[in-house]
Amino acid sequence: MKERDNTGWIFVLPAVLVLGLVGLVPLITVVNYSFFEIFILDARFWIGMEWYEAIIGSGRFWASFGRSTLFSMLILSVQIPLGIAIALCIPRRKMWVGITLAVVALPLLVPWNMIPSLWLALLNPDSGILGRGLGAVGWPADWKLSIPHTWAVLVAMDVWHWTSLVVILCYSALTTIPASHYQAAAIDGAGPWQVFRHIQLPQLYHVLLMAVLLRFMDSFMIYTEAFPINAGGPDGATMFLAVDLGEEIKAFNYGPSAARSVIYFLIVLTVAYSFSKAQSKLSERQAA
Amino acid sequence: MTGTTGLIRIVKAALLLAFVVFVSLPLVQMTMISFVATLGHPDAELGAFTLRNYRGIFTDPNLRSAFANSIAYVVINICITVPVAIPAAYAFSRLSFVGDKHLFLAFIAFRITPPVVLTLPIFQLFSSLGIVNSVFGIALAHCLFNLPISIWILQGFISAVPREMDETAFLDGYSRRRFIWKILLPLIAPGIAVTAFFCFMFSWVEVVFARILTTTNGKPISMALNALFGFQTDIGLVMAVTVASMLPGAALLFAMRSHLSRGFKIGQV
Repeated sequence: MKERDNTGWIFVLPAVLVLGLVGLVPLITVVNYSFFEIFILDARFWIGMEWYEAIIGSGRFWASFGRSTLFSMLILSVQIPLGIAIALCIPRRKMWVGITLAVVALPLLVPWNMIPSLWLALLNPDSGILGRGLGAVGWPADWKLSIPHTWAVLVAMDVWHWTSLVVILCYSALTTIPASHYQAAAIDGAGPWQVFRHIQLPQLYHVLLMAVLLRFMDSFMIYTEAFPINAGGPDGATMFLAVDLGEEIKAFNYGPSAARSVIYFLIVLTVAYSFSKAQSKLSERQAA
Repeated sequence: MTGTTGLIRIVKAALLLAFVVFVSLPLVQMTMISFVATLGHPDAELGAFTLRNYRGIFTDPNLRSAFANSIAYVVINICITVPVAIPAAYAFSRLSFVGDKHLFLAFIAFRITPPVVLTLPIFQLFSSLGIVNSVFGIALAHCLFNLPISIWILQGFISAVPREMDETAFLDGYSRRRFIWKILLPLIAPGIAVTAFFCFMFSWVEVVFARILTTTNGKPISMALNALFGFQTDIGLVMAVTVASMLPGAALLFAMRSHLSRGFKIGQV
């Protein structure tokens, strides 16, 4: 049991101050702006909920929302199982563990704005390693004109970029399983599937929850990597929520972009809340 | 029995190999282009093998200062994040205080808030504080996502330290502060290293804050890369800079490789 002790607040105070400055204060500013029509920041007038009504009522918002949701679902359904599978495949020998982890984590080190350039170079039909090979199996040279192909590239790119994070998290959770559990399973004659289902998977729940949270939110709000691949095209088929917001900010539409930001933050809050609910449910179940 | 385990081992090795190949493909492509002259030069023919791109990094003052800026803001960020995160992680791991769960929820919410949502007000706030176009501004802005993640990682490492350690130390007359400083910190040193590495990783590659906070000065590598794109882009140089930008991280990754897999006893508040 933890001791009940409000001196805890002294320990978290520095973190509260830093996040208050870079998180809460800007957030309050955004909420404030979202109720105004702003031409320049010194001249603005109150318009209440108008921006919100305009955004919520627009088909464009809901279309982007749908696209982002679909993208996140695709990403989660590929990255989470793949991440678990790769974590299970990492060899036991100590020397290989380090090398494998180091190689697998390399995509995390590429500057985000360069990731689309890397993939466009890779898919170049004349010079790309993948582009030349894919042409032979029916991948069109003008794939940018096709919606499914553009989506496939985006999903492949994100899987390439972020599966490593899931692998690292899962692998580190797997290493906390004591060897005695495996020995007990071997004595009981458990097959590989039963070992996974009853020993390895339960150990992964907490870290998977975190992985799902991070990967869901970051792919739902994908921004830097998504746009340069095909400029949101073809025909707006890869315009995601954060890309819409980015365009609004670039156009200096302070009011609407603030309202949009607030709506996005409400989505964030909802997701974070369900995450904490799921987490406490999981703890209860494991304690029981 | 040995037949199936052998088969499983082969399947595992094949899957892992396939994944490693998939991960390497874009990186190989990048490295290949970085050694090719992609713009015609007097001393290197178009498409010929050259080291010119890498030499270019050292001769271009913008690129040199970009590397210095990136290193500076990441180091500052780690120096802010880790000392602030350690006591908070300790509190979340060991103490129960009014509103602890809600506070943790708020921290997590800030981690998953997309930076693009806060770009405009952060720019205004930081320009009124006079820290735009400086490495300090980027370092501070990156605390938004690095601090919550650091608290989360460190909390896992602290929770892995048995609670009896605390109690024995207090019985021996240690104050809480001395216990953290003398006993806990050495025990979680690998955790601190892992945390610093994750701060480095997320901060080094971030683009959105780095872009809006450096309009004239203090540009990091990612923005220097953006500046290389233009009417005639020397894509070979771009790729060479990207390769070079990954080297410090790769070196750290290799040094950290054994710690990276340890720890993360993922705790909950």
